[in-house]
Amino acid sequence: MALFQTFVGLEIHIHLLTKTKVFCGCKSAYGDKPNTNICPVCLGYPGVLPAVNKEALKMSYMVGTALNCELSPHTLFERKNYFYPDMTKNYQISQFSDPVGVNGWFEFETDGGIKRIRIHDVHLEEDAGKMIHDGNRTLLDYNRAGTSLLEIVTEPDFSTSEEAENFLQSFQRMVRYLGVCDGNMEEGSLRCDANISINKTGKGLGTKVEIKNLNSSRFVRKALQYEYKRQAKTIKNGGKIVQETRLWIEEKQKTRSMRTKETAHDYRYFPEPDIPPFVPDEMFMQSVNDSMVELPFVRKQRLQKAYSLTEEFAVFITEDKFRADFFEAVISAGAGAGTGTGTGTGTAVTGTPAPAAIAAIAATAAKWLKGETVKQLGRRNLELSDSPLSPIRFFSLMKMLSDGTIHANIARQLLELTLDQDEDPEILLERDVLAGSDDDAEIAEIIDSVLSNNPEAAVQIQEGNTKAVGFLMGQVMKASQGSADPKTVRILLMEKLTNKK
Amino acid sequence: MNEVGRKTLFWRGLTGSVEQRKRYNKLITEADSEISAFLEINPESGASLLRKNSESQTSSPLSGLPFGVKDNIAVEKFQLTCGSKILNSFVSPYSATAVSRLLAAGAVPVGKANMDEFGMGSSTENSAYKTTVNPWDHAKVPGGSSGGSAAAVAAGLVPFALGSDTGGSVRQPAAFCGTYGLKPTYGSVSRYGLVAYASSLECVGVLADSVEMTKNVFTVIGGKDPMDQTSSNGSVNSADAAAQPYTIGVLSKTEGLDPAVAEAYGETIEQMKLLGWKIREISLNTQEYVVPAYYTIATAEASANLARYTGIRYGMREKDITDHENMVRLTRENGFGDEVKLRILLGTYVLRSGFQDQYYVRAQKIRTLIRNEINTLFTKVDMILMPVFPTQAFRFGSQEMTPYQQKLADKYTVTANLAGIPSLSFPTGLKSGLPVGLQLMAPDFCESRLFDAAGVLSGGRSIQLAPGAMSAGEVS
Repeated sequence: MALFQTFVGLEIHIHLLTKTKVFCGCKSAYGDKPNTNICPVCLGYPGVLPAVNKEALKMSYMVGTALNCELSPHTLFERKNYFYPDMTKNYQISQFSDPVGVNGWFEFETDGGIKRIRIHDVHLEEDAGKMIHDGNRTLLDYNRAGTSLLEIVTEPDFSTSEEAENFLQSFQRMVRYLGVCDGNMEEGSLRCDANISINKTGKGLGTKVEIKNLNSSRFVRKALQYEYKRQAKTIKNGGKIVQETRLWIEEKQKTRSMRTKETAHDYRYFPEPDIPPFVPDEMFMQSVNDSMVELPFVRKQRLQKAYSLTEEFAVFITEDKFRADFFEAVISAGAGAGTGTGTGTGTAVTGTPAPAAIAAIAATAAKWLKGETVKQLGRRNLELSDSPLSPIRFFSLMKMLSDGTIHANIARQLLELTLDQDEDPEILLERDVLAGSDDDAEIAEIIDSVLSNNPEAAVQIQEGNTKAVGFLMGQVMKASQGSADPKTVRILLMEKLTNKK
Repeated sequence: MNEVGRKTLFWRGLTGSVEQRKRYNKLITEADSEISAFLEINPESGASLLRKNSESQTSSPLSGLPFGVKDNIAVEKFQLTCGSKILNSFVSPYSATAVSRLLAAGAVPVGKANMDEFGMGSSTENSAYKTTVNPWDHAKVPGGSSGGSAAAVAAGLVPFALGSDTGGSVRQPAAFCGTYGLKPTYGSVSRYGLVAYASSLECVGVLADSVEMTKNVFTVIGGKDPMDQTSSNGSVNSADAAAQPYTIGVLSKTEGLDPAVAEAYGETIEQMKLLGWKIREISLNTQEYVVPAYYTIATAEASANLARYTGIRYGMREKDITDHENMVRLTRENGFGDEVKLRILLGTYVLRSGFQDQYYVRAQKIRTLIRNEINTLFTKVDMILMPVFPTQAFRFGSQEMTPYQQKLADKYTVTANLAGIPSLSFPTGLKSGLPVGLQLMAPDFCESRLFDAAGVLSGGRSIQLAPGAMSAGEVS
């Protein structure tokens, strides 16, 4: 048994993707010219009042739902009082006694399997402005002041730094899926503070130390690892852990003390008199529920099961919601097309194609998405979402590939052409790939050699077994390295066979 | 032509053209040099806002009427000092909703009225700028904190003015100066643009020279405003079932009142009886707790509301200080007056962690009890008649009333703020040459009942203006 037990909790702040700030109509944007998205309300001018952004509340309730929280039927805003130059009112409108959600939980994957941690609460608040230190003066940019910030506080349920890192990655994926946050830690739209206490195993929680300035999930892991070592060493040497807030200094790969408990603020929370408690009605909750999507972890498990995807492919596909949607659209295009899957026609909507055929398309699609598609998109600096490759086009490509109409190198060529020319692969195949090489005489030659090499197939066809046609077609295509037009091949092949008869 | 018609003509004749406004500016400046009701006078600037507002209605009864605005209510391009040095030279970039709605009705803001700093006081002596005198007796205070607004109306400088009432700040100066003073239901007038002192208690209120005027102004400024989420259409939509003859609740015990006030109280009860109204004696069990509960909640909210004044973005800033903390510390030390500092300290104290239950939370519980008691009373009576203040206007300095005594004397006014109900202060005539005002309180959103009752009591007459009033000769 390990000598020490570690207890880690996280406090995560996410910038909600609302168009406007949380209490005024100013634009909520990152990277604009300083002090351009400001008004009397977010500047805390005398006499102004906050008006809560409904969209921010909706997104907050969505996150509360995703984190399995008990949602508040009358959520209350409160004032958190402290002086700071980037806080325009010198109090922050936040939540305390009755936040949007409490007592939730979240499941995510770690190396050791599925882990469930408890969520203490989810609460909505406003962000502060930004201080820019410039030599001996400090400049203030209030563009960020009053933007909507959602804070998620976990219970100290992580027992290793890796778990915390894994959680953060899963959480990031989740908020992106919900479309409530872009999850960008470098730009600060997802920020994380960690708290850690260690104690002799079985002794319960130790003295809590908070760590700030963690700008990536990797920093979270490294800072926690450092803190564990620091605290373990202190205890082993008979020292005491001081309750304090420490900063992670990435350049030095260590933490340093920022403030101790004695200098901590008394925030003097009290109910915000300018905002009545928010009572979500049925319509509001309906709109929250309507906006919920299948979350990444659940989706990954479902896709894995349905299409027998490998772990590697399942992770890749569900990493990004657009990609997962794309992947499923490719498969439903397959189900819709019907042909080639042996289910006949007329089952586009309700048909349940043979799982094996679907799985085959799924496997090919997963492989091609992760490999060639990512590569070609990368070369062109394109995202899947803004590329000319639609699920339907990708499906045709996959289908031609899996039924032997074309070979991998032609498929690769077609993929590139689709991306560059924004055209359907079938059209491209005929127009660009086969043009020039589509010499009937050449094909006829290939057919002759294929027929002479497979005399029994020709006999079978003449006896009425049409299955062999496909086989011969495939042989011809193979011999032409996929460059022959399948229609021409079929016509010429049938001509030859008829003549033979 | 009737009195209302003559008055309207008179006031419109001061605002219609550049020449008229120049004349008005001269008249009002001269008249105000006697009483110092205003901190800024600029009819031309007010008229320019009106021109900007293309939708101004000429059909409104307020069209063309000038009005004063307490200096804690924002009017674009006018100063907004709240009577405090810390906002010295601060000019508002926007207008309060109440002001915007008056502009839309065609009324013209002409100046910013003096007040106790941030609304904290009962005499307007806590202004960092000027001493406003009572137009009836220049040795007496006009009341406060909306003392400038009340004095301006009583002296005939404007037919109405906006004030704010956190614990009696409209009604008490109205009583001292002999004007009408309405503290509306909490939320029935948007607070957007009213500089916050105690957000859960205060309202934009009206000081005016007649019941009719008070009602017209309230009708224009009231109603829900998306900029204030505590605002509502309650008063707009209210269908009041009560009608004359009213049942009026009166205090069974009135000790502690000055003889003049006690006398006026008795006389008004007699007048009501003559009108056939039913008088019912009531007692308010919570009355001894209203002042401590009020000051606990008001100061707690003030401590947060006034935290924004640091000199960083606007207002006064102490120069040549190189660190943020000292700059804020010195700016606040030199920018705020003593009464404001006292209340910020008190508010910070009652909100401290570990002490909240004892003070702030307890005060909130008392507030609920007060509200419950008042609501129960309104199942038995239509309105409650109360004194506004135990005395008439008092002398400057602390000779007649110390600041502490002034706070205790808020016991008649703060009840309406704690309960959120509307209350109208109305003049009852002069005693020893000074006005005495009383107040009628009604249930939530029943302002119309107050207007109806006060209208009957007034016999349809406007207020008696103070001696030498600017508009006196013109309108009588």
